[in-house]
Amino acid sequence: MKLGRATIHSYWLMFVATVITVAIVTSSQLITDRISLLLDRQASELLAGDMVVISNREFDPDYRDAALQHGLQVSSSVSLRTAIFIDDDPQLVELKAVDSAYPLRGQLERASEVTGDRTVTREIPERGRVWVDTKLARLVGQSIDLGEARFDTSWLLTFEPDRGGAIFNLAPRVLMNIEDLEATGLVVPGSRVRYRLIFAGAQADLNRFKVWLTTNLKSGEEIQDLENARPEMREALQRTRKFFALAIVLTLIIAMAAIAITARYTANREASKVAMLRAFGISQASLFHYYLRQLGGLWLAATVTGIVLGWITQFPLEWILDGWFGKTMPQVQTLKPYFSASLVGLLALAGFSLPYLINATATPPMQVLRTAVNRRSWLRGMLITASAIIAVFAVLVLLMQSSMLAVATLALVLVCALILPLILGWMVKLLLFSSQRRFWLRQYLLSRLQASSRGAIYVMSGFSLVLIAILLIAVVKDELLGSWQQQLPDNIPNYFLINIRSDDIAEVGAYMRQHGIDSSTPYALARVRLSKINSIDVDKISFTDPRAGHLVRHNFNVTHARELPDQNEIVAGSWLDADNPRAQLSVEEGMANRLELKLGDVLTLTSGSKTLHAPVTSIRSVVWENFKPNFYLIANPELLADLPQTGLLSAYVDAENKIELKQLLKRFPSITLLDITELMARVRNIVDKASIALQFFFVFALASALIVLLAAIQTGRHEREIESSLLRALSAHTNQLYRVHVLEFTLMGALIGFFSAGLATVAGWAISVYFFKIDFHPSLTVWIYSLMSSSLVLTIAGTLVSRRVYNISPMKILRS
Amino acid sequence: MGKSVDTPDGKLDILKNISLDVKYQEAVVIKGASGSGKTTLLGLMAGLDQASSGDVFLFGENLTGKSEEQRSSIRAGRVGFVFQSFHLVQGANALQNVMLPLELAGIADAQQLAVTSLNQVGLENKTSTLVEHLSGGEQQRVAIARAFAVKPTVLFADEPTGNLDAATGRQIADLMFHLRDQSGTTLVLVTHEGELLERGDRQILIESGRLLSG
Repeated sequence: MKLGRATIHSYWLMFVATVITVAIVTSSQLITDRISLLLDRQASELLAGDMVVISNREFDPDYRDAALQHGLQVSSSVSLRTAIFIDDDPQLVELKAVDSAYPLRGQLERASEVTGDRTVTREIPERGRVWVDTKLARLVGQSIDLGEARFDTSWLLTFEPDRGGAIFNLAPRVLMNIEDLEATGLVVPGSRVRYRLIFAGAQADLNRFKVWLTTNLKSGEEIQDLENARPEMREALQRTRKFFALAIVLTLIIAMAAIAITARYTANREASKVAMLRAFGISQASLFHYYLRQLGGLWLAATVTGIVLGWITQFPLEWILDGWFGKTMPQVQTLKPYFSASLVGLLALAGFSLPYLINATATPPMQVLRTAVNRRSWLRGMLITASAIIAVFAVLVLLMQSSMLAVATLALVLVCALILPLILGWMVKLLLFSSQRRFWLRQYLLSRLQASSRGAIYVMSGFSLVLIAILLIAVVKDELLGSWQQQLPDNIPNYFLINIRSDDIAEVGAYMRQHGIDSSTPYALARVRLSKINSIDVDKISFTDPRAGHLVRHNFNVTHARELPDQNEIVAGSWLDADNPRAQLSVEEGMANRLELKLGDVLTLTSGSKTLHAPVTSIRSVVWENFKPNFYLIANPELLADLPQTGLLSAYVDAENKIELKQLLKRFPSITLLDITELMARVRNIVDKASIALQFFFVFALASALIVLLAAIQTGRHEREIESSLLRALSAHTNQLYRVHVLEFTLMGALIGFFSAGLATVAGWAISVYFFKIDFHPSLTVWIYSLMSSSLVLTIAGTLVSRRVYNISPMKILRS
Repeated sequence: MGKSVDTPDGKLDILKNISLDVKYQEAVVIKGASGSGKTTLLGLMAGLDQASSGDVFLFGENLTGKSEEQRSSIRAGRVGFVFQSFHLVQGANALQNVMLPLELAGIADAQQLAVTSLNQVGLENKTSTLVEHLSGGEQQRVAIARAFAVKPTVLFADEPTGNLDAATGRQIADLMFHLRDQSGTTLVLVTHEGELLERGDRQILIESGRLLSG
């Protein structure tokens, strides 16, 4: 048997659905890989490289050699705190010495004066010269002494990529050439120096090098990469990836629903042919092989077409995003997206269509004589369901590489897929038998929907699933992104005021209020180090999370507060009891997880010669990317009373308030001002990019939905034509035929819209709360969109169908 | 009149020079081999299709040149059909199927008339049964009830027993002629079954699109 033209024609919808599935996977994999590379690169710029190793001691030269051998670029920098004298007043500065390769990612920006244009540069300070922070602007053109050497101040340093993970600790920056460092004589045994070795290169090389480095790392050395660098950036990147993952999964579900519906349609069409062939003695096995070959051919053709289509469609998005990112998107160097796409196409096609075709090949020859003999057995029904579940699961695991996410999405899909036919069938029955008085139109329409031969309930369920996915992408996505963006409103803090003397804290707060500057509550900070957990030295505890090392080896800020800070949420225990003076600590959830802390654990904190003991009384979740002061530890005020403290507050300062801010700095000269506009802009940029990229996947979702719609129209077309012909023969007028068809689709659309909105709301809630961990607000928009779009689209489809049907001669009823 | 269609091989004459009168309350049986053109003739007489040449009159009105819509109006409430494959609305019960043409014609007491009609065909106990759950013979009874429910002046039947076994076919034929005798409906019936042929007032033989007798 050969694949004839007629057969190809009967398979065309299934072919198009498979092409779209393969194209979605190809395009989404290429695009997400490229966006991921770009976002990683953007985030890398905040590290000045892809990976950094930090130490208080000079590095073993082997590190640099090994990195070069692994094909990586290497740069080193040294930073230390020192004092310079300005008009005989000492000023603490953060001196940073860099080599000519610095930065490996991102760029330095400099200006000749505070109000001058910022220019990007690949240069670093020449020997004998330094660049200084804008806070030291008045030193430009002057000479400053750093240790034993004198330097000319040539530029203002307006931006450096890796301006420290702990943004509250910065003293004004002075940047110098590493060649000059020795001459300063500042690096002597005992001085507190931070050495950084920065690496950049291909991800595979980095991964291999990280393995090597991890095994060779010495005590006191710490690796930082994108995963453990900036918490704000990390959260933004992770959430962006989750959004992409969700959009791709939902789009794929639509595409696979299209395959399922078209496979069912094709199998039904083939049933009579199979019955005839079996009547002629062709074995079931031969028929199965015949269909297997057809499917193989279809898969091959669809894979090639889909991959080409997917490859092409990455370019419009690249073009859109290039303008936004301001740089070229990196190319994906592997063939993985194409292999994934062809495998997904195969899994989806086989999973959805094979059981139907097995069912079709089992069509009894008796069907030649009498239709509807082949009632699907319970076992075959199970086979179809199981096969579809396995296909969806395999595709999700393959693409998401996260079985938990796959299972969650699959569960959602299955619930919808299983519930929808039941609910819709039940609803149609209820409407059908609610009144027997008049049959015409309403009853007739409902009976059409209920007729199992047309499979309307299944098509409606498929369409509903598609609509749910579209609603989740189009509408719920807006809600999710909206609530994310609400965390980044326009007036989020753009300045941090740090190093406020403890005596000045209240006065600074009052000054901000008095001048109408939108600022946070001032927080008093004490620097502490975690030394013991439940009286056991932290050095003696082996933590499973490698990031725990950073927390136990370094000083960090602890604050005290009476009220739970904004956007903090207690996840365990209860907030600090103001009426209870005994020691209490509230620990950030991430820190608690990394250090495996639980309620009641007693932490020993040291600050200079002082030691504090306090039990963990609550664990808090913190929204790191909100740019407000966030803390790992919050104590009750009594606990920190004896420790030296400085103040911190964040403020939103617009152009009009800058004069007041300057006056504040004059009045309180100890305060250091930290401008985080740049960092904030980068995080906001990621949110915007995520939104644009998601719109793109929406186009695929709509294309798949169109296929589902075509399949829905095709399914039962023959029956619809026969019935129209019958109605004609029974003297129905054109307007009656019009009402039948249009209203059938409108009713179908309204039912689909109603249930889709309900299920999308539930799914949106589940995704928001359990997947993105953000609040969900049910929206009326979802219901309006759902009902309107579904009714409208299906009514238009119904109208188009009707136009065909009007022209069908009633003679067809005699010929059928 | 005649009927021809365009095919890739040129014009194909299905009916040629047909001249036929069916009188009021007459039972005419059209017989012929497969492909002889008998179903086409039935369709033209019922106004389901347009003749390519000549004129067709139904209830004294010339169907030639009339639109599908106009021909529907001429048929409405006066013509009944019984088909070989029954052509009932799946998903609807027997009563709803019989009510369908009555409500299409805008008849007010459609339900009562439909119940009466189902009683006449012996399906009073099956009114609320979905038609797909009925046997072939019962489905054809529903189709006959639907056809007679509108009290048609003319009933067109195309191989009404073609899908049934001999015994059931006989019952259906009995029922159809019994109802026809009761109502005085004109009957135009296409068949090649011997028993039905004998029951008509007049037999018309058609061969290769030409009327050979009648």
